[in-house]
Amino acid sequence: MIRFENVTKVYDQTTRPALDSVTLEIDRGEFAFLVGASGSGKSTFLRLVLKEDRATSGAVYVAGQNVANISSWRVPRLRRGIGVVFQDFRLLPQKNVFANVAFAMQVIGKSRSVIRDTVPEVLKTVGLEGKEKRMPHELSGGEQQRVAIARAVVNRPGILLADEPTGNLDPTTSMGIMGVLDKINQNGTTVVMATHDDDIVNEMRKRVVELKNGVVIRDEARALYTSMIPVVGQSRRLKDASGRDDAGVTPAGPMPGQSPDSDAAARSGESRL
Amino acid sequence: MRLQFILGEIGSGLRRNLSMVVSVILVTFVSLTFVGAAGMLQLQINQMKGYWYDKVQVAIFLCGEGSTAAGCASGTATPEQQDNLRTLLESPAVSQYINDFQFESKEDAYKHFKEQFSNSPIVDSVTPDQLPASFRINMKDPEKYQIISETFSSQPGVETVIDQRQVLERLFSVMNAASLVAVIIAGVMTVCAILLIATTIRLSAFSRRRETGIMRLVGASKTVIQLPFILEGVIAAVIGAALASGTLWAVAHFFLGEYMSKQYPDTAFISPAQTLLIAPALVGLGVVLAGTSSLLTLRRYLRV
Repeated sequence: MIRFENVTKVYDQTTRPALDSVTLEIDRGEFAFLVGASGSGKSTFLRLVLKEDRATSGAVYVAGQNVANISSWRVPRLRRGIGVVFQDFRLLPQKNVFANVAFAMQVIGKSRSVIRDTVPEVLKTVGLEGKEKRMPHELSGGEQQRVAIARAVVNRPGILLADEPTGNLDPTTSMGIMGVLDKINQNGTTVVMATHDDDIVNEMRKRVVELKNGVVIRDEARALYTSMIPVVGQSRRLKDASGRDDAGVTPAGPMPGQSPDSDAAARSGESRL
Repeated sequence: MRLQFILGEIGSGLRRNLSMVVSVILVTFVSLTFVGAAGMLQLQINQMKGYWYDKVQVAIFLCGEGSTAAGCASGTATPEQQDNLRTLLESPAVSQYINDFQFESKEDAYKHFKEQFSNSPIVDSVTPDQLPASFRINMKDPEKYQIISETFSSQPGVETVIDQRQVLERLFSVMNAASLVAVIIAGVMTVCAILLIATTIRLSAFSRRRETGIMRLVGASKTVIQLPFILEGVIAAVIGAALASGTLWAVAHFFLGEYMSKQYPDTAFISPAQTLLIAPALVGLGVVLAGTSSLLTLRRYLRV
């Protein structure tokens, strides 16, 4: 469903790439976690899938189509096939729950009767039955995120991208959200979720792709947040907030060969999505 | 559905930005009024030129009923007198100065008069008999008017010889200067309007960046995202243009029609209906103005 072939993304020539020749395939119907420190390239990965940015080199395929070959006026069609959820929900504060979800259908020209039928159905899927008339500020964080998920999937996209969807939520609420995402995944939607939340990753036991400085250093099925294979210097690296490490050996993947501390540079690619 | 959605977006955009929209309306109104005023002055000049102005320079009016000039002692000019004048015009002494000439009979004069004064009540009280016949002369060199005047003024059957240009040229130059000033003011105001529309669209796009961001993500087409903004500017400009057209019509109707035409009954003024010819041009200009400036602004400030 999503295939990266030697994809490199350079935001700024003077710093290291945000993604460095990443090759990766996510199959239809798969649930994959994208983990890694800030600046590891998770958001860049998602941006490239959405064609918010062009890959500097390499090819990105979404649903079998090379996104580089999609003309700008066809990009909306690409995005209709992809739902996106964010850490900060991004609901429209002056619209109620129903209108927020309906908005995603209105703007692509769905008829009113279709909207009337579909929206309650989707709200039921995310567990918000009977809250159609509530305004976003009347909802808890978890409920707001459910609305955002409902909006992302209401047009039945084949892919759901979630950029740290549980970043603002407490562990219990987060698990509820994961239940919703899992349910959506069960219905056949490919889900790619970028996250920092180790508890969730460990609980779900799904595929884990770990990025570090723009390189895939681990890609395991049914994996944990941290590799089960012991890594020299790994624990120290996790504790060190500055992200400095002494280039320990990671058997799970090729070791990045660039300078250890380029976190700040990589962060330039952060939070643009 | 999509149309309804776009209309709803326009409505909410206009409401949210009401003060800016009002200022866009006023600025386009003022600038287009000046554009229209320049247009009206040109129409008025054309109206006053009448049938002959651009074709000939000198008119020899023949005696009519009640003419009091010295040459008209015998009353209305006779056919013989007309023939004499025609022979004189064709004689080498005179014809070397003129390109050609035409004879305007009383009936022709009446026809042209009716055209020029079609907006004026005076047209109903005039009959062909009251209008003098004339020779209209196209000069090789308009400066040689004096020669024609000297030759013909004293001929029997000639009431007067008139250099039309001398009569109207000064007035026209004043009116042309006035329309130039109007165009300059209109130009400055138009720049003002373009900048204001750009600012308004920018503010509008900024205040709705959440919506547009979401629209982008769920795959709304460029048209659906941009059209409400563009139409917002266009609607404001059209309202401004409509106000400008209304103002011009009011000027033509109340000032020219009711006041000036009574003060100067022998001058042909444009009719209010003629100003409505300017209106579509003003609306079109407003639409183009607002459309292009909002399109350019959106390209910079609204990512799609």
